[in-house]
Amino acid sequence: MAGFKKEKPAARANYPKLHASDPLAGFDAATREKVSLMEDYIMKNCLWQFNSRGWDRRKQNEGILGKTAQLLVGEDVQNETPLDKCYWVDAVLLSRAFRERCAWLAGMGKDEVQALMKILHARIDWLTIDGSLNEELTVQNY
Amino acid sequence: MPYHEFDCSKVIPERKQHAVVKGEGEDLTSCLPKGYLNTIPGSISERGCAYCGAKHVIGTPMKDVIHISHGPVGCTYDTWQTKRYISDNNNFQLKYTFATDVKEKHIVFGAESLLKQNIHEAFDAFPEIKRMTIYQTCATALIGDDINAIADEVMAERPDVDIFVCNSPGFAGPSQSGGHHKINIAWLNQKVGTVEPEITSDYVINYVGEYNIQGDQEVMVDFFRRMGIQVLSTFTGNGSYDELRGMHRAHLNVLECARSAEYICDELRVRYGIPRLDIDGFGFKALGDSLLKVGLFFGIEDRAEAIIAEETARWKPELDWYAARLKGKRVCLWPGGSKLWHWANAIQEEMGVQVVSVYTKFGHQGDMEKGIARAGVGTLAIDDPNELENQEALLKLKPDVIFTGKRPGEVAKKMRVPYLNAHAYHNGPYKGFEGWVRFARDIYNAVYSPMHQLSGVDISKDDYATDKGFVTRRMLSDASLPEAERASPLTGYTGAFDPIAALRAKTDADYPQFERKTSSQAAE
Repeated sequence: MAGFKKEKPAARANYPKLHASDPLAGFDAATREKVSLMEDYIMKNCLWQFNSRGWDRRKQNEGILGKTAQLLVGEDVQNETPLDKCYWVDAVLLSRAFRERCAWLAGMGKDEVQALMKILHARIDWLTIDGSLNEELTVQNY
Repeated sequence: MPYHEFDCSKVIPERKQHAVVKGEGEDLTSCLPKGYLNTIPGSISERGCAYCGAKHVIGTPMKDVIHISHGPVGCTYDTWQTKRYISDNNNFQLKYTFATDVKEKHIVFGAESLLKQNIHEAFDAFPEIKRMTIYQTCATALIGDDINAIADEVMAERPDVDIFVCNSPGFAGPSQSGGHHKINIAWLNQKVGTVEPEITSDYVINYVGEYNIQGDQEVMVDFFRRMGIQVLSTFTGNGSYDELRGMHRAHLNVLECARSAEYICDELRVRYGIPRLDIDGFGFKALGDSLLKVGLFFGIEDRAEAIIAEETARWKPELDWYAARLKGKRVCLWPGGSKLWHWANAIQEEMGVQVVSVYTKFGHQGDMEKGIARAGVGTLAIDDPNELENQEALLKLKPDVIFTGKRPGEVAKKMRVPYLNAHAYHNGPYKGFEGWVRFARDIYNAVYSPMHQLSGVDISKDDYATDKGFVTRRMLSDASLPEAERASPLTGYTGAFDPIAALRAKTDADYPQFERKTSSQAAE
């Protein structure tokens, strides 16, 4: 299928760390509460954040949370490859759940929503990749 | 790290790193046991071996295949018929198991000629079966038998047969999970791409990591067919050997059990660019979301919505009937691998039970991440437990019911804790909307059955009331319910004893006919 780039196992396993500590720690209580609510939904209902390798989780988190942010602020989402479409599918379900459960999203401006989603993205990266205790994340092959 | 040390395992200090209790404020960066490591000497594991993981879990559910183990007969016997992965060809793969019956003399002089003779005998005995899978075992791996060479010789002599060789002897990994990995990759390397399948729909999937336990696969395939989706292959429950050779032509891999089958999905993504979509077939919300996701991917979400609406209207009241009666019941969720995360949240949200412990026999840390993320505060999570630890946990946690395999299940029964078979089910299927109600019914019956209460009475010694041996539902589960609930005309499960028979009776005419896209529409 078009648009798929094969990567070398060694290169993809050596992904850089993005966060050295919990990125949520420095924020105010209201922001932490909002992010925790969204995080709790993801952790209890989604599976996409738990692919078996760290490099893969990085792509999953970026793809799905990036598209979720776009959907929440009403931007057009481009799905150029089947993989993009897969990210979009999970993003559609997630954005619907967030709208349903996080009523305060409706009262936030576009920039505020994007900033909040950025914090959420960092927090999910921390929990599933950079702060993860899973010793198999850096295994080269599947 | 909130490690939990069992009293019984104090003599095996390394075990401490394999159990944690999820405390208040704990997350996955502070609370995760070790996993997928060699079992620590001194700990009597409940795990299977890598041969078992390859053959019993993944290979044998393929239905139109002679499955032969090259080794002592015990290997094949002990991996035969203990999991109910039924098939729609009269359960050929469950009824028959084959072994080369390697003996001491073959270890000394070699067993290749014995293997060849057995292959021919098996094909001669079942002339309608033209496909075979050969499983390596420890004994024949150690003496260096070249199974591939023998398979090639036979295929040259019998051009109408095809043989797959699975080289996953028992020692090839810490647990059965090592075998899952090996057979995934071996199938992809040897067989995928060797058959060009007929494509009959605009929407084509492989359904991966689904083993048709008591008909789970047939329930899910029915949903997909109602949506106009072609299920090109199922890896591997009720799956056909030749259909699985054509996996490379699917548009999407729909992955159910990531523990056992993510490897082939990930490699299909790398080699063929087919994306992987993880789904949950258990629970109304999770299953509904899963169907919606598949529908969205193909632009046919409305078809998924119609199924969800119909099934929810039919089955949700019956699920709620059980949920009212299961509220707060304490559950030890102790399956092999993936069900600890498939079920952890769904049974709490939709049946009202409380998961007090999760464990995995052969799961990796990734499975524990999913399980712990979905479990509540106070949950005890154990990796690769031994029997003494299980007993200690049951005495401490006092669960109302335990979901596990039959070995720890029998131990639990002796301790008078009701058990449901998490691997082979009791009265499945458990997937699908109706299946989820069947699961709730089995939990209800396990928790409330008077048999369990009576089992604690020693009739040769104890003084027991002979007029109180019979109790009704109203006395057992309904006593503390509000009056409105007690007076409700609703009941528990009203479906058929065997829901799969009706699915098998369906023909193409029973499914909606959708027009296929024109080539210009498909290109859009």
